Amino acid sequence: MTDLARAGSRASDPADRPKIVRLHPFGLDGARTGPISFATALLLLAAWFLATHYRLVPPLFLPTPQEVATQFLAVVEDGYAGATLWEHVSASLFRIFSAAVIAASLGIPLGLAMGLNRWAKGVFDTPIEFYWPLPPLAYLPLMIIWLGIGEVSKIVLLTLAMFAPVCLSAQAGVRALPIERVNAALSLGASRWQLFRTIVLPSALPEILTGLRIGIGVGWSTLVAAELIAATRGIGFMIMSASHFLATDVVFVGIGIIAAFAFAFSYGMRLLEAWLVPWKGKS
Amino acid sequence: MLQVRNASVFFSARDGRVVHALDRASLDIDANSIVVALGASGCGKSTLLNAIAGFLPLSEGSITLDGQPVANPGADRGVVFQKDTLLPWSSVADNVALGLRFAGVPARERRERAEELLGLVGLEGFADAFPHELSGGMRQRVGIARALATDPKILLMDEPFGALDSLTREQMQELLIDVWARTGKRIFFITHSIEEALFLGTTVVVMSPRPGRIVARFDLDFVRRFAAERDVRAILSAPEFADLYDEIRSLVHRPHAEADSRRAVLQ
Repeated sequence: MTDLARAGSRASDPADRPKIVRLHPFGLDGARTGPISFATALLLLAAWFLATHYRLVPPLFLPTPQEVATQFLAVVEDGYAGATLWEHVSASLFRIFSAAVIAASLGIPLGLAMGLNRWAKGVFDTPIEFYWPLPPLAYLPLMIIWLGIGEVSKIVLLTLAMFAPVCLSAQAGVRALPIERVNAALSLGASRWQLFRTIVLPSALPEILTGLRIGIGVGWSTLVAAELIAATRGIGFMIMSASHFLATDVVFVGIGIIAAFAFAFSYGMRLLEAWLVPWKGKS
Repeated sequence: MLQVRNASVFFSARDGRVVHALDRASLDIDANSIVVALGASGCGKSTLLNAIAGFLPLSEGSITLDGQPVANPGADRGVVFQKDTLLPWSSVADNVALGLRFAGVPARERRERAEELLGLVGLEGFADAFPHELSGGMRQRVGIARALATDPKILLMDEPFGALDSLTREQMQELLIDVWARTGKRIFFITHSIEEALFLGTTVVVMSPRPGRIVARFDLDFVRRFAAERDVRAILSAPEFADLYDEIRSLVHRPHAEADSRRAVLQ
C-alpha cells in the first residue's frame, strides 16, 4: 500500500506560501464597506468645502462648513429662538422617548395577541391596516384640532406613527415560530403561560427589536414634521424658525443634530440586538 | 404499556379531497422494547407518532398509555424530532433541563440532572455550550437527553437520525442502544431505513401507503444481541439479517394497485 498522502506532498519550498483560493462570491458576501463609506463622507465634505470656497453656489443657499461650525458653537453658547440648544434637544428627545415607550408597551402585547388569538387579530386588523399606510402629516391637522397644540398632540402623533411597525413586527415574530418548537415544549409538559413565556416571547424577540428600530426611525421623521407646524421648542422648530430668516447655517446645524441623534439611536438598537438576541441568524 | 387500537386518521388535502393517512393501525409497546415503524414516505408512520405524542387527534380508534387515554401532549411521552428543536438562546444544559423547568424543579437540581443526562449521551463538558456551536449529531444527542429529562414512560423518535451523515448515524444508533440498555425506556422509533429498523427494533412494523396501514410485523433480537455482545459486524453479516432485509425490502417495494395506477397517470 502506498502512502498517497505523503507521496503526493508538495515538492516546492515549504517557505513559499500557497496560493489561497475561495469560491467566487456573489453580492456583498460580508465584504468590508466601512473604509469606502468613510472615504465617501470625506469626499462629500471636500466637495462641500470646494463648492463654497469657489462660490459655485450662493452662500445663502449653501453656507461654508466653517460658518456652520461657528454657528453650531454660537447656538451651543447662546441658544436659538428663545431657548438653549439643550432645551430644544431635550424637548425633542422627550417626545420621541415618551412616544416610543407608549408605542412599545401597547404595540408589543397587542401584536403578540394578534399573532396568537383569532379575536384580537379579527378586531384590530382592520383599524391598523386602515390607518398605518396614512402619512402622519395627513392626520396631524386632526390631532391639533382634537388635542390642541401642546405636547399631547405631538406625542399621540408620534405614538401612532411608531405603533404600527412595532405591532406588525410582533405579529410577524409569532407567525415565524416553527410548530416543531411549540410541539417540543408541549411534549415537555409546558403550560400555556410557560409556552408563551419561554418559547413564544423569545422567538418573537428578534422581530420585535427590528420593529422597534424601524419605529424609532419613523419617529424621527415624524417628529420633525410635527415640530415644524406647532411648537415653541424642539430641533424641528429650530430648523423651521431659522428658515424664516433664511439662516441656512442654522438649518444645517439642526439637520446635523438630528442626523447625529438618529444615527446614535440606530446604533444603540443594534447593540441592544447583539446583547439581547445574540443567536439571531445562527440557528 | 402503550396500546394503539384501530387508529384511523383522515386529513383534508389542500384541494378539499379527503386523505386517508392512517387506516386501523393497532400496536402494543411493552416495557423494555423498541418498536420501529418502517415505511416509505406517506405511509402514515409520522401520523401515527404525532397521534401517540398527542399532537394530532384520531379520527377513529384509541391510544392509551398505562390505561390512561392519550389526548394531548404531555411530559409522560418524550419526543425527539427529526429537525432539532433546541432553543437557540439557551445553553445546552438549559435546553436539556427545559422539561424540568416546566415542572418547577429548582435550578440547582436541574443543573445536576442535566449534567448527568449529558454524561449519558456522551456530551460531558458541553453543558455551557450553545446549540449553534454543536454539530448535527451532537444536537440530536442533546435532543435525546432533553426528552429523557422528564423521565417519560416512552420515548417517541421521529426519524431522529434521518438528517445525519451515515457515519454519525451509526454512532448515534449505538448510542441509542446504550441509552436504552441503561434506562430500560420503551421506544417508538420511525425510520425509512430497513437496516436501521432491523438493527434497532425488538419489533419492526412495516407500513405501506395509501391508505397508511401496518402490513407486517417482525419480532427481532438483533438489538438485544448487540447490547450484550457489542459486535456490529457479526450482526450485519448474520444470514438471518440479510434474509430479513430482503423480505422487508420486497414488502416495502411491493407494487400495489393504487400505486400502479398513479404511476400510469404520471407517465
